[in-house]
Amino acid sequence: MGSLSDKEKQTMREMQDNLRADPFPLNTYTHIGKRGPRRLDGHLKASGKADYTMDVQLPGMLHLRFLNSPFPHAEITHMDTTEAERLDGVRYILRYDHPDLPSRASLGKVTGIYGDPPPLSRFAHFEGEPMGAAVAAETEDIAEEAIRLIKVEWAERPFNLDIMAAKDKNAPLSYPEMYPDSNYWNNGLFDVLIQGDVKKGFAAAEQVVEFAFVRRGHTWIGPERPCGVFRWKGDCPELWVKQQRPHLVKKNLCTWYGGVPMNKIQLHCLYQGASFGGWVQVPWNMGPLYCAGLVARETGRPVKYAFSRREDFYGQSMDDGIYRFKVGFNDDGTILAVEGTSTCANQIWPVFNPVNHLRENTRIPHLKGKIETVWVNKGPAVPTRCEQLPATLSLTMVFSRVAAECGLDPVAVALKNDGVEGHDMVHVSAEKKKLGFPDIDSLAVCVEKGKTAMDWDAKWHPPGAKQLPNGRMHGMGFTWTNEWDDSLGSSEIAIRIERNDGTATILSMGCDNGVDAENTYCQIAADELGLNLEDVHYNPQVDPGFFRMSPDSSTNLSVNGWAVRHAARILKQRILEAAVRPTAETQRGSFRAAFPDCAPEDLDILGSVIFKKSDPSESITLADFVREAGQSGPVTSTENAGFRWAFTEPLFAFSYHVQVGSYNPENPRPHLTRQAHFLEVEVDTETGEIFIIKAVNVNDVGKAINPMSCEGQQYGGTVMGWSRGKFEEMIYDPATGVMLNGNLIDYKIATTLDVDAPIDTILVESGMGYGPYGSVGIGEDVGTVMTGLIGPAVHNAIGVWIDDHPITPDKVLKALGKI
Amino acid sequence: METKDFICPHCAKGFKSPEEMKAHMLADHRGGALPSPEGRIRLTINGKAHAPDVKPNWTLYHLVHDHLGLTGAKQFCDRGACGSCTVIMDGKPVLSCMILAIECDGKTVETVEGIAAAGHPLINAYVKHHAMQCGYCTPGFVTTSKALLDDNPRPTANEVKIALSGNLCRCGTYPQHTIAVLEVSQKLTAS
Amino acid sequence: MKNFEHFNARSIDEAATLLVRYGGNAAFIAGGTDLLGKMKDRILPAYPEALINIKTIPGLDAIEETDDGLSIGALATLAQIATHPVIREKYTALAQAAGRTASPQLRNMGTIAGNLCQDIRCWYYRATQNRFSCLRKGGGRCYALKGDNRYHSIFGGSVKGGCIAVHPSDTAPALIALDGTVITSKRTVKASDFFKVSVNRTTVLEPDEIVTTIHLPAPAPGTQSAFMKFALRQSIDFPIVNCAAAITCEREAVTRARICLNAVSVVPRRTVAAEQSMVGSNIDENTADAAGAAAVANAEPLEGNAYMVPIARTLVKRTILVCGPSPAEVDPV
Repeated sequence: MGSLSDKEKQTMREMQDNLRADPFPLNTYTHIGKRGPRRLDGHLKASGKADYTMDVQLPGMLHLRFLNSPFPHAEITHMDTTEAERLDGVRYILRYDHPDLPSRASLGKVTGIYGDPPPLSRFAHFEGEPMGAAVAAETEDIAEEAIRLIKVEWAERPFNLDIMAAKDKNAPLSYPEMYPDSNYWNNGLFDVLIQGDVKKGFAAAEQVVEFAFVRRGHTWIGPERPCGVFRWKGDCPELWVKQQRPHLVKKNLCTWYGGVPMNKIQLHCLYQGASFGGWVQVPWNMGPLYCAGLVARETGRPVKYAFSRREDFYGQSMDDGIYRFKVGFNDDGTILAVEGTSTCANQIWPVFNPVNHLRENTRIPHLKGKIETVWVNKGPAVPTRCEQLPATLSLTMVFSRVAAECGLDPVAVALKNDGVEGHDMVHVSAEKKKLGFPDIDSLAVCVEKGKTAMDWDAKWHPPGAKQLPNGRMHGMGFTWTNEWDDSLGSSEIAIRIERNDGTATILSMGCDNGVDAENTYCQIAADELGLNLEDVHYNPQVDPGFFRMSPDSSTNLSVNGWAVRHAARILKQRILEAAVRPTAETQRGSFRAAFPDCAPEDLDILGSVIFKKSDPSESITLADFVREAGQSGPVTSTENAGFRWAFTEPLFAFSYHVQVGSYNPENPRPHLTRQAHFLEVEVDTETGEIFIIKAVNVNDVGKAINPMSCEGQQYGGTVMGWSRGKFEEMIYDPATGVMLNGNLIDYKIATTLDVDAPIDTILVESGMGYGPYGSVGIGEDVGTVMTGLIGPAVHNAIGVWIDDHPITPDKVLKALGKI
Repeated sequence: METKDFICPHCAKGFKSPEEMKAHMLADHRGGALPSPEGRIRLTINGKAHAPDVKPNWTLYHLVHDHLGLTGAKQFCDRGACGSCTVIMDGKPVLSCMILAIECDGKTVETVEGIAAAGHPLINAYVKHHAMQCGYCTPGFVTTSKALLDDNPRPTANEVKIALSGNLCRCGTYPQHTIAVLEVSQKLTAS
Repeated sequence: MKNFEHFNARSIDEAATLLVRYGGNAAFIAGGTDLLGKMKDRILPAYPEALINIKTIPGLDAIEETDDGLSIGALATLAQIATHPVIREKYTALAQAAGRTASPQLRNMGTIAGNLCQDIRCWYYRATQNRFSCLRKGGGRCYALKGDNRYHSIFGGSVKGGCIAVHPSDTAPALIALDGTVITSKRTVKASDFFKVSVNRTTVLEPDEIVTTIHLPAPAPGTQSAFMKFALRQSIDFPIVNCAAAITCEREAVTRARICLNAVSVVPRRTVAAEQSMVGSNIDENTADAAGAAAVANAEPLEGNAYMVPIARTLVKRTILVCGPSPAEVDPV
């Protein structure tokens, strides 16, 4: 069972055609789109019962902590661990020279795009880097104390913090072990993007402006520290990991310790105190896990490793850098050409060109964008909700500048340039028609709703024009872009009908980051199968191998939603086929002959009841249908005891989906849905403080399957975006390269009083997404886009650009000439 | 030089003989019995009496989370700056990561597990209003909210926000907490 | 945390004796919110061998009105002070300062004496594992002077003229503005004389000296006091600048003003020039602004903290205005 029939394969092929509008939407929705289905994880999380990897304790478990480099660039020349070994409670010290520590090439199969540092390297490339040695002890406190007793001789090396200085060809090398030729690296997926001919555009433009801005690196702050637990059961590893991509752990682990067969790896992925991409998905996380496995093997005991809170601070967002733009436009706000260069620190995956979003959703004909990655001695820059931070910030700054230069309302400038890949809306309309989508002007709908909610037309004013009675300057900011969470990815989902009560279990990888995705899958399965929502449950697990996109993968709902739907449709067909058989014998049992005179298409399921379409009174609950045929599942030898041995075929289906998304440069799809965001601020010109007064988020999610979850991403994203735009940056001592604010007191994230303003969340449902039912994801969007919106809002308030994000009071006062 | 081999277990003063020490203990320490064994504390947690032996360097978080299995208190910042490890001690929300367990003798402690077990309506309200995403900080918020409602059954929206201003939520669920807490406040004060 | 010995002191003498017994390598613990953070981060060269709990000393947490003012036990929590009806009414600046300190939970834990005696927040001093052996730890230099000093003193340094770490207390300026007195196990000190910087020290306290009581004189008739704080965040944050003022008026003219800034200098800074500029004047936008200007006239900002000067000036102005006849017109910071 489980393999697909030819007919099912054909159905799959038809269903998997995701380059166009959903050809098979449902006529009616019972659970999809409804407010109020309670969170699957709600009670567990609210009552403190949800289990996280940090909470895991195993009998005899040791705690592993790492040596941190005190220098931003150094190598260990000698290490003496004698004193540390003598400390009571220390059980093992793993050193960089342990023969079983691999060189970089053997640590897993994920190489290249994230870099591939070896675990426990002898070399440090940023201050605080976990490296050199790891101590396993009975408690975390003892391990930490033992680390202090390790005597290390260091050879310090020259280091770089400043990207422009590091770019210079005479600068010392920042990462000679990995990048021996230069600090300048240009190896991105979209490192150069050219559309049209910018020279022509600039020549034709009525105005040309050039500007530059800086964004300081910030970080994700996953509330749960990166951690994992490793134990060996014979030669079978059992692991608990805080990992947004648990399947990658297996993929890597199967190459470790001389090779571990995939089918011997038992992996648990519990609830996760979020990480928004971040540290947990990169090999810097794999290295410590590798060490934990090695120490577990050497000691014969389970080993938990956990980064310290400070260690978690050393990774950073991908937008840390300098952005330079030249923009040609006409007086009416029509943009003709944009040339942009982003020079960013440590972008190990520099996918998002500064003009990327201008390509995806505008008609600007001439674009040229370049990413420059420069290695400096800071932590790795990785997707931090999300890797598109540089691209959306760039779009926001380009459009805000043009609107300000033209003296126009930025909403009007957005509408004037909306389009796709250099094409205008006429072309986009034709595309929509061709792909089977409704022809809705998404941006126009979004801005109309948003303007009304914000009372934009009454509140917007030219920059620096409105002082309030309380003395503060009033500012309005607007930005927009496409919704982007529909990208390439793959997913495997299985659903089974439980024998005893007819409930449905969705089986797939566990990986909960809080977006309530599993509830969404249950809603889809319930509607597709005709079951009550409470009869569908998501059972997260990793080992059966049904891997799905996890919430960090920029594509969650659109890929997994499809796979759930495919599986549910195949399963429903199987249920109905079983229901019409005279007896659905398989081995020694049978389903009852429920509807022997019918064909499957004569039947339907609703409310967990199978019924005859022509006469709904002829019905049987799914529970009753399956119960008699297999009340207790597999049992042994009951025949001899006089019981009927009922064992039917499993009502089980799996399916899968491969999404061909816009991230795939060979087969991009036009982005059709838009988001629009509005921000009202007040600026205290005597102190430089910025106050949020109101925010409006409008997202065309195509179809809101789980509206409360969507709204959670809107207000949640606004809170995070406000925090990142106003406070967040990692601060390093220029002389020593030491991070100065790697804790939650000195690194500021917003409290509830810092975002004490109404946040209106509006969902638009145009049906123009590439996900099932026309949906498109939302998780990354608002938090990423809102981060850049404070700049334009403050400019509208004070009439001066602050080209250095985050926008802190000192910069406001400087812009105002107060210092 | 005199040796003082007998050290008062209360105050560490030295004495030459056990008789002298005993006299001192009766006079200066109110005639109290010998102190509990080092590190033995007695406290009430979620209504139940506990008498754990703790080490001086254990925090209250360490005691409840690692040794009593009450894992609802979560470690986020571990420096008193985030509210995730909040428990209620003698009626006040406090940060268990910055309190030494050995100093909790005689205290009454309530954790999120106790709040949930008592069927407090905050739990349902938090679920209903999605006042959580990743959920890691959520028990800290629930606990802080419970302490607020005990102390001030009819808070204003602003009072709720101030009460919760020591709790960080990285997912940004702040707007929902006020809604949930005010709804529970109305429910509890109406009946 | 590395382990240590722990004692519950029953009297001040006992606590002091125990401390001496450890040769000074022990620490008193009350609220613990500062001390435990320092121990967890191992920021000091010497880790305490023992902690001596002074919360077990009876009678140190009472708040009582006396004939000549108010007496606050050293162990009174910041929350107790912030919500105390008498303090809110008559010693408003102190209630406001305590209410803006740290976070609600920390205010339930932290004590008034602990808030006065807390250590500096300089991020070089606080770098984990004692990374920078700075002047304040007996080391050779101040790393902030040429480093990132965005939160450091705008009024020069201390300790061989070098250390530019500011005093981070919110309640200290309120006590100074209210002309408070600190009573210790050994003496009585004016709050304005209580803060003094030396290696490992932020106050005049000797190692085995314990604050027992804070005394505030009853305010003269016609006195208003207020506190304002500027921090990046509205909660869980130390001040970038704070200011407390207590101003006495007779027939609208100021007869006495005590104004104190903090977080701008190595110790809380009473702004005598601003006080003098107010005496004899009415409280209005112009006089308050002039006082603000006077308060920062001698500021010597560093490369990273010039922005603190206009903020300090503004806070002095606004705090004075709140003490004036029509405070409703001013927005609280």
